[in-house]
Amino acid sequence: MTAAHQQAPRTAAPAPARTQRAGAAPAAPPAGGLATSHRQRSATASSGRSGPRRQRVAYLYLLPALLLYTAFVIAPWLHTLELSFYRWDGVTAGTWAGLDNYRQVLTDPQLMGSLWHALGYIGFYTVLPIAAGLVLAAVIGRARQGRNFAVARTVLFLPQIVPLVAVGVIWRWMYAQDGTVNQLLDAVGLHSWTRAWLGDFTWAYVAVGLVGSWVMLGLCLVLFQAGIQKIDTSLYEAARIDGAGPVREFLSVTLPGLRAEIGVAVTVTVISALASFDVVYVTTGGGPGDTTTVPGLLIYRLAFTGGEVGTACALAVVLSLLISLVVLAIGRLTRERA
Amino acid sequence: MPSSTPTPGHRSPRRPALAACAALLVAGLMSACGTPGTAPASSAAAPAVSTAVPNDKVTLSVLSSDTSETTKALSAAFEKKYPNVTVDFRFTGVDSYDTSLDLTLGSDSAPDLALLNKLGNTAKAGLIRDLGPYVDAYGWDKTVSASELDQWRADNQGKALGVGKLWAAPAGFSLVGVYYNKDVAAKLGIEPPKTLAEFEQDLAKAKAAGELPIQMPNMQGQSSYLFQALTNTFQGPDKSTAWAFGSPGSTLENDSATRAAQKVADWAKQGYLPSGANGTDGAGAMSAFTKGQGLFMFDGNWDATAVDKALPGKAGFFTLPGESATAPSTGVGTSLAYAIPTKAKHPDLAAAFLDFMTTPEAAAIEFASGYMPVAQAESVKAPDNSILADYAAAWAGVAKSNGLVPYFNNSTPTMNDTLTSQGQQLVAGKTSPADYLKALQDDWQKGHK
Repeated sequence: MTAAHQQAPRTAAPAPARTQRAGAAPAAPPAGGLATSHRQRSATASSGRSGPRRQRVAYLYLLPALLLYTAFVIAPWLHTLELSFYRWDGVTAGTWAGLDNYRQVLTDPQLMGSLWHALGYIGFYTVLPIAAGLVLAAVIGRARQGRNFAVARTVLFLPQIVPLVAVGVIWRWMYAQDGTVNQLLDAVGLHSWTRAWLGDFTWAYVAVGLVGSWVMLGLCLVLFQAGIQKIDTSLYEAARIDGAGPVREFLSVTLPGLRAEIGVAVTVTVISALASFDVVYVTTGGGPGDTTTVPGLLIYRLAFTGGEVGTACALAVVLSLLISLVVLAIGRLTRERA
Repeated sequence: MPSSTPTPGHRSPRRPALAACAALLVAGLMSACGTPGTAPASSAAAPAVSTAVPNDKVTLSVLSSDTSETTKALSAAFEKKYPNVTVDFRFTGVDSYDTSLDLTLGSDSAPDLALLNKLGNTAKAGLIRDLGPYVDAYGWDKTVSASELDQWRADNQGKALGVGKLWAAPAGFSLVGVYYNKDVAAKLGIEPPKTLAEFEQDLAKAKAAGELPIQMPNMQGQSSYLFQALTNTFQGPDKSTAWAFGSPGSTLENDSATRAAQKVADWAKQGYLPSGANGTDGAGAMSAFTKGQGLFMFDGNWDATAVDKALPGKAGFFTLPGESATAPSTGVGTSLAYAIPTKAKHPDLAAAFLDFMTTPEAAAIEFASGYMPVAQAESVKAPDNSILADYAAAWAGVAKSNGLVPYFNNSTPTMNDTLTSQGQQLVAGKTSPADYLKALQDDWQKGHK
């Protein structure tokens, strides 16, 4: 026991801080030491109980995954948590800051503003694409065959395949003063509406949000399309015999049948909304003013240009807690309904 | 330690082994906690330096984010001069360069020379060498003008700039000023203005004729060039330089800077600046300018060769004129500067390269690739009627009046972000000149306390 305890900190100790960035993964601990300690512990832990031996062996199978998860997810996260209590420029020696960084995150209007922006993006990343995806899935319906369907699905799913940075660059061109969006508006006689969309204090936020909607729509559609395929056809027949129209059919059969898929879509899209970075960084860089800043962007700026790694980590911790809470709530809601 | 061992079944009766295992890992990680970072090594006595270039085969590694051809061309010329030397040029895009620089300099693969875009925490962390011994050995203080070298002087903390140790040596200077389209100017009957009042008359004339007076991108906060050029004109180069260097007691919350910020706001309001500036990036604005949209454009020398190519003989350059025709000319600019990392393997060779940058041969290379030469400026010649000829004249004027002011953007690590966000608000009329200046001063205060 004692030996195992002394071994653990050594194997999991982060690499020398000088070459390490916030969130960087420490080297994976050699498996030997921990595996031994785990066996000792699990044996000891259940010695007073009569759990089936099979169950204990099962944990052994979890070990490789657990080790990797610990090395690359838990450990960096804990390191981030640790750094959030320091005042550190990323290079020279840091000093203990207590809760100062958290106080700054929760009182600085710019940092708080970015958290609100991220919450607002849920409307664009989650609500819009799911609503549109549901409608599209219902319209395309249960069609399995036909080349048109395959083409439509591929086209709509494409945004998911393109790297987000490329997506951002493409949309930046489209939103530019002489970009596609303004050319289209000009073509239909709406010249007075044209503007440099990403530089407009009112519209930049919406413009960036719609990029998110565009990216997420394909994912939602494919999920719902797959979900519809597994709904029992007899339900549709029964609805039709009862005289249900397409709207009624959608509300009474399709929607309830897709509950699980909607749950997945909400979870995934909410996480991308709150953790968004790439699209904002490439399109507006947070501007104009601070209208499109998101926590991800400020974490990057604070850590790498501002030399405030501690504050960046505190914001990262707050953001990950916020995401965990929201995801937990979504899980609760979808489970209770089911 | 044992006190942190959870009692089996205490937290999660169904999964004692897992819980225990997780707790063990957590405990292990927490106990590994400690103060992050390392204190800079106390600098030992300055090592002896040599100006001799070795005769055996040797590789000089250079880390840079220089997108112009300057560094590459200088490297090639250096290799030609010393055939036994190979220059290993390592390029990193400017976006990620500054964020990764300190980590690279601290690593075992540190280069022999590294471009510095800003001093940041690099000197404070002890990652680069004091070039003082080389200044003495090569006599750079005699070949390079003091105001140009001073830009890279700082104390050990990297806070008080402009004085103290020299941390980097210039390889060419950038200069921001006013580009103008000669075709548009001729159509409007405009000559390069001699005073600020004339400049403003030209703006009004262009606007009245339906031309865009000033082409300006502001997506990355380029309005700061406009603001700084005006501020330099109103308060003179010395006060601006003091603020950019972080000299204690400096402030931009004064009448001159307020007038400058007010002018930027007014010009935006009067339609002298493009309405979509906040949503236009540098490349977009330059392409628009070369297509004839815009009489003037505030930009730096890095675009000079590109503009010259797109508008051969049709583009000119001047620095923003002063309030009177006899006022000293000022320019915004800094050097493409190289530092020798503490971990450099060939520091003497690196210094020899830095010295090579001050030769007439290097001056020609620097100028041809769009940078203002470090020394021997009088030896370079630009083709007549090219924008480079205007640049050479402007550079000579700025050098003569000692009017080169470092970028406000580099005053603190976060100033560029602040200038971008605030400048976008100022141009859009979302903030007042007073609040704009207060935000800049707050950032300055935070960075120089």
